[in-house]
Amino acid sequence: MKQLMEFHTDFISVAEMRRENGLPDETWRRLRKLGQEQFVQKGLPGKKDEDWKYTSLWAFSQQAFNHDVAQPGHVVVSDWQLLNDAYQLVIVDGHVDFTASSLTGLPEGVTVKPLSQSLEQVAPHLNQQIDLEKTGFNALNTMLMSEGVFIHVAAGVKLKKPIELLVVNSGVTEDLAVHLRNVVVLEAAVQASFIEIYASKEGITGLTDVITEINLAESAELFHYKFQRESLTHFHVATMAAKQAASSRWHNHNISLGAQLARNDIHSELLGEQSHVTMNGLYLVDGQQHVDNHSRIDHVVPNTTSDELYKGVLDGKSHAVFNGKVMVYKYAQKTDANQANKNLLLSRGCEIDSKPEMEIYADDVKCGHGSAVGQIDESALFFLRTRGLSETSARSLLTFAFAADVIQRIEDPAIRDAITGVIEQRLPRS
Amino acid sequence: MKILEIKNLHASIDGTEILRGIDLTVDAGEVHAIMGPNGAGKSTLSNVLAGREGYDITEGEIIYKGENLLALAPEDRAQRGVFLAFQYPVEIPGVSNIYLLKAALNAVRKYQGLEELDAIDFLTLVRSKLELVQMDEQFLHRSVNEGFSGGEKKRNEILQMALLEPTLAILDETDSGLDIDALKVVSEGVNALRNSDRSIVMITHYQRLLDYIVPDFVHVLSEGRIIKSGDKNLAKELEKSGYSWAKESVGLPA
Repeated sequence: MKQLMEFHTDFISVAEMRRENGLPDETWRRLRKLGQEQFVQKGLPGKKDEDWKYTSLWAFSQQAFNHDVAQPGHVVVSDWQLLNDAYQLVIVDGHVDFTASSLTGLPEGVTVKPLSQSLEQVAPHLNQQIDLEKTGFNALNTMLMSEGVFIHVAAGVKLKKPIELLVVNSGVTEDLAVHLRNVVVLEAAVQASFIEIYASKEGITGLTDVITEINLAESAELFHYKFQRESLTHFHVATMAAKQAASSRWHNHNISLGAQLARNDIHSELLGEQSHVTMNGLYLVDGQQHVDNHSRIDHVVPNTTSDELYKGVLDGKSHAVFNGKVMVYKYAQKTDANQANKNLLLSRGCEIDSKPEMEIYADDVKCGHGSAVGQIDESALFFLRTRGLSETSARSLLTFAFAADVIQRIEDPAIRDAITGVIEQRLPRS
Repeated sequence: MKILEIKNLHASIDGTEILRGIDLTVDAGEVHAIMGPNGAGKSTLSNVLAGREGYDITEGEIIYKGENLLALAPEDRAQRGVFLAFQYPVEIPGVSNIYLLKAALNAVRKYQGLEELDAIDFLTLVRSKLELVQMDEQFLHRSVNEGFSGGEKKRNEILQMALLEPTLAILDETDSGLDIDALKVVSEGVNALRNSDRSIVMITHYQRLLDYIVPDFVHVLSEGRIIKSGDKNLAKELEKSGYSWAKESVGLPA
């Protein structure tokens, strides 16, 4: 398969430097080396790769990213955080900002630490949820990952406060690339909330490459929110992958507002009976933005459920891609899987490629999927205007209403309100 | 005082002329009924009054309180006190009724130079209007018209009218799809809103509505023209003899 092999950024030299810069842990050294071997062999996916058919990495390959941070910048946390009351880890320009972070008062049995401070602890959990050989991005991240958050919660702990990871590019280092790995391990019957926020101010160019690996033991429940609002010149490539044991529940909410190129791969493997995954997504793109959400759900055993709703609002000359794949294995009887992708097109110039897929090998299942593309309802617009709302406010209101059911699915009211606020600001007002 | 003057109004859609010279004057406090068979141009007239796009006004004018109504966008008309109660109220999933009511009221108040109502005053006001149309408060928190019955949708229109207190209300086939109980509630709501400063134009196919909301004037609309005008007795005559009678009586082929 034809892949992209040439980059204006010398990722491999950076990887070699990072490998030599004192990694005491054997697993890390081995993984880095494997990652590098894979990357040398594979490069990054080209458009002939079915999973990258609608998303070109040409601009990405032509961008010279910087990996050297002389001094991380400072950011105002309150500009970006969604919650005031959370355990917070702040990463600025790829480095933990300990002053801005607040990780005190963690209950017993709860570990929330920077990746760089938990190398040995995290090692056995690395690359357990992703396949190094599947895509060059997994290789890239494995050879370059340098920071992130490690979360481990001991069996039975119900965490009341959410854990908030805030990743900001301050812009102090131009064209900065950061490679992050988050690892979330919830032991049996744990309940926790984890928020990932990726942000940067307009005008800042950079790359965020992040993989979040999640391991949910029996009856563990993770409320998981990813909120991406990077600048419109940023590149963002992310994976969220989870293996789920029996009766575990993963509620994944993925909101993508920023970046010139944003790609999300979300993967759940339902390996234990009665396990459930919710994949809830919203993307708002305008101008020249490109957003690509690829999801995959593996129903491996009987009696598992999945519920996926992705909605998108496209304006300008933006381009969105949705590819959701649900696999129902031969023995996965009584699977209940629901998948939908809906898009609202606000301009003539935008483009959506929507591809919901189901592969079903069991014969006693309940599966449904669908895809829809529509425009603003002109009669609703007229109705609102006859009630005194300006055309602009009426359009914004209808756009927000389109996204409302995705937002309503956000379980935590404080997070829901915070996200609502940011989205409302994005919509034009009169 | 003249509120609405329609003069020789011609309107067409996709090159087909629907309104062919309408003349109508409505004074403050008057209730006018415009009756006509299907295809007479009733809905076109209400849409043109409210400012829906897609119609070409080829001749004539509409003066509202001395202003050229046709030059105004739908929202500007609404803010100046023109209200259309829809024949088919639109469902808007994701927008709660209370949000719509608040946004609408504030848009009108802003135009009038008034401050936005605070949450408590607003709720007090809405509650008093809910009573008028016998609607339960739970309707406020549901999406606009979504899953409402026909009667509930029409009551919701009158609720909006009650809140916005328009100068000119156009009721487009408000009786359609209503059973007799719902018709009574809606009519009582409208009657309670009748006053010397408010003009109402009711557009209807059937005389039935006029038993409940008694008009000062009745006009017969046929093939895009008002062919006959009279008082409420004209409606009774129409009910008895049909629209062809009205046409014959003015020398038109039936």
